[in-house]
Amino acid sequence: MDDIRSSIDDMMDRFNESITHSAPKKLLFNRLSASFDLGASPKKRRLERESPERSLNASATSLNSSANDPLGFLENSKLRTELIETKATVIQLRNEIEQKSREHRKALMLAENKSTALKEQCDITSKKFLDVQDEIKTLQNREMAFKNEASRTTIELNRLKLKHDEAMMKLQREKYLQDEDSRNAHLCINNELAEYRRIAQRSDLELQSTRSELDRLRQRHEEFKARVSGFEELRANHEKQTQSLKVANDRIQELEFEIQSYCDWKEVTKTSQERLASVPDLLAEVERLRSHNKHLNTLIGDKLLLEEQVHDYKTRLDREEGARAEAASLQVKLVHVEQELKEWVKVAQDHCLANTLVSPMALRSRIEQLLKEDIIHVAEKTSSDSDTKHLQTTVRDLEQKCAIYLKNIEDLNIGLKRHKNFKERLQRKLITVSKERDFYKQLVENFDKDMTMSNASVADMTQDMQVRYRMEVLERTVTGYKDMCATLEREIQAMRQQELLNEPAGEGYDSVKKELDTLRLENDRLRRRKEELELEMMHRCLRGDFNMKDLKVVHFNENPAAEAYESSKNMMEKLQAEIERLKRRNKKLEDDQEQRLNETTSTGGMTLNFKEFNQLRAELESANGKMRKMKDCFKAAREEFRDVCYMLLGYRIDRIGANSNYRISSMFAEGPDDYLDISLNESNCLALLESPYSHTFNPPIDQQLAASNFPAFFSALTLELFQRATVTMT
Amino acid sequence: MSTAQATKNCITLKGSAQIIVEYLKYGINSILFQRGIYPAEDFNNTQQYGLTILMSKDPKIQTFLENVLSQTEEWLSKNMIKKISMVITNAHSKEVLECWDFNMQAELGDGDSSDPTKLTTTKELSRIQNEIRDVMRQISATVSYLPLLDCICTFDVMIHTLQNTELPAKWDETGAIVIQNPQAVQLRSFSTGLHKVDTVVNYKMST
Repeated sequence: MDDIRSSIDDMMDRFNESITHSAPKKLLFNRLSASFDLGASPKKRRLERESPERSLNASATSLNSSANDPLGFLENSKLRTELIETKATVIQLRNEIEQKSREHRKALMLAENKSTALKEQCDITSKKFLDVQDEIKTLQNREMAFKNEASRTTIELNRLKLKHDEAMMKLQREKYLQDEDSRNAHLCINNELAEYRRIAQRSDLELQSTRSELDRLRQRHEEFKARVSGFEELRANHEKQTQSLKVANDRIQELEFEIQSYCDWKEVTKTSQERLASVPDLLAEVERLRSHNKHLNTLIGDKLLLEEQVHDYKTRLDREEGARAEAASLQVKLVHVEQELKEWVKVAQDHCLANTLVSPMALRSRIEQLLKEDIIHVAEKTSSDSDTKHLQTTVRDLEQKCAIYLKNIEDLNIGLKRHKNFKERLQRKLITVSKERDFYKQLVENFDKDMTMSNASVADMTQDMQVRYRMEVLERTVTGYKDMCATLEREIQAMRQQELLNEPAGEGYDSVKKELDTLRLENDRLRRRKEELELEMMHRCLRGDFNMKDLKVVHFNENPAAEAYESSKNMMEKLQAEIERLKRRNKKLEDDQEQRLNETTSTGGMTLNFKEFNQLRAELESANGKMRKMKDCFKAAREEFRDVCYMLLGYRIDRIGANSNYRISSMFAEGPDDYLDISLNESNCLALLESPYSHTFNPPIDQQLAASNFPAFFSALTLELFQRATVTMT
Repeated sequence: MSTAQATKNCITLKGSAQIIVEYLKYGINSILFQRGIYPAEDFNNTQQYGLTILMSKDPKIQTFLENVLSQTEEWLSKNMIKKISMVITNAHSKEVLECWDFNMQAELGDGDSSDPTKLTTTKELSRIQNEIRDVMRQISATVSYLPLLDCICTFDVMIHTLQNTELPAKWDETGAIVIQNPQAVQLRSFSTGLHKVDTVVNYKMST
């Protein structure tokens, strides 16, 4: 830093020196240039150098001037001019000096500015230098820290290495252990395998023994079969005997029935004989009763007659009263009806013809007539309606026709107009043609006149007059020609215009119509196209894909679709692999089956196997039947045993649940809820469980049991309950 | 006057994007349920817009939708999305069977429209939600006429953004969606004042 400052100071000093040294040089140069510029200055300087002497001389001369006047005056004037000259040079030199001093000052100012700027830069650089030094210090600190850290990490690395080595050692040791284990396991497995082989051999032996046993059983079965056939024969004989016994019994019963029926018949005959003896008495009694009955019947008939008469009278009375009331109402009705009839008659008189008799028939006929008329009117009306409809349709047709005609008329009118125009044109042409004719006539006349003039009036008129007249005539003809030309031109123009206008019209209405039709078709087509395009546009708008160029479609990588595709692909692969596997297995199985089939067919033991199988099944069934029978037997025996025990000892013992719990209820108990629960321990000791009944004992049951054992306790309880029951009975 | 202005309802672009993303969340879940893309026992009842909407319980779907919709919200708030498509495809053949398009149209709102990033609207939230509710009702009514999806289906969400959009990690560019023999039905549309959302369902017409 100090070096930099010192170097900058050196530079500054050198700069200042250069300024100070260059200043005189500059001055010299300036003076040279000034002398060069002025040109006349060397002379002046010479004059200047001489001037002091001269001025001295001048002063001397001035002093001397008074002495020699004319010379002195000249010299004086010369000196004066010199003086003025020198003054001017002095002023010039002064100005130069000032200018130079100003320039010098400016240079100094510039130098100062530069020095200040350089100083500022120097300060900034010094500051920067300090900053850089600080940074270097911090970096050194950091480096130190990093070095420390590096040493620490190397230490840690060493430690980790050691640890790792230890772990390696451990793992190797473990590996050795595991190897040993595996060897042990191998040995064990070998041992087990040997054992299993031994077991297999043993099972083979067993199988052989069972087979021999099976053979023995088969032999015995055959023996049993022989016995069974003997037994069945015996059974058949027995059945025959029993049947003959049954037949004999039936015969005995029939005979017994016959004997009984004979006894019954005897009793019946006895009773009928007794009844026959008492018949005459009974007949007398019957007659008496019949007479009595007749008498009673007559009495009843009389009573019924009287009752009927009374009822008849009552009904008559009721009917008469009803008839009276009805008569009154009928009279009233009659009056009404008469009035109505009168009205009807009036109506009939009003409506019937004057000379005919007034009667309902007439009225009816009148009404019928009216109705007929009505029908006719209706028919007429419908017909008129149909007529009007028909007429309306005809009117519409006519209107349509009328419209068509109107159109035709219009077309014709247009044609007429065209024709009129044509006519007008023709007339105009005619006029022009007639004019032309007139003109040509005039021309001919003129020529004639000329001819006559040339022939007849030559003598009369002077040459001049002749020429004039001819001139006039010729002028007139010229104007006539001009007029004709103009009219013809006009006509040509009009014709052209009309041609332009009428050419399409001239071709006719049909062409226009055709054109119109084609245009209409095109219009329709375009309209349809437009609608289609609009629809498409709408669809596009709906889909929103009109300017797909400006857009890009993006999606998230881990989307469900991608996952599903992946999983489905995996599944497909898996399934295909499984299919392959199953195919292979299927093939294998098929091969195996074929082999087995071959084996079985080759040995021919198939049928034998089936026979054996059926036999064994039959045996199983018979064994099952035996077992069922045994079960039933056992159940019956058990029930009997229980009942006998209950009756003999007075207690019913029920086993409850799968555990060895027992419920004991006495024969003499007061209710079904009076029971005691007892359980058998694993050490074959009986223990009493709590039950609602066990709480009812007056000295607690445990004490009683402690005093005596179970049989004594139960016998005591039986006695007590029995006494209680008998006491309550008595 | 000043207090009235202070309490005035105001939705910014961000708020609008949030509303739309919420609609998309419920809409996509509803479509997943209504179209039977996942079994019905994978869905839970929730109340939104005054309707009962069934939302998927599957954590995979939830995270997927969260990722996609958060990115969508960011893009929407910059008006960079033209269309969001939910595509239903056959899981085995990858054939596109249905495409639910949510077309986005930017609107200027009714606030100060000099700065395009600070647009606002004063449309009421309840009104917007009512509009959304109508669309949701229509979505659940579409089941009556859309063809039966009788295969294992899956779905994807595709976003149509501007060409100059920078893609974040895990996002890919994919091709356009093509449906064979398509038929389009436009449902109601709703607007937040800054975005107008048209819902259109395109489906494959069974021949």
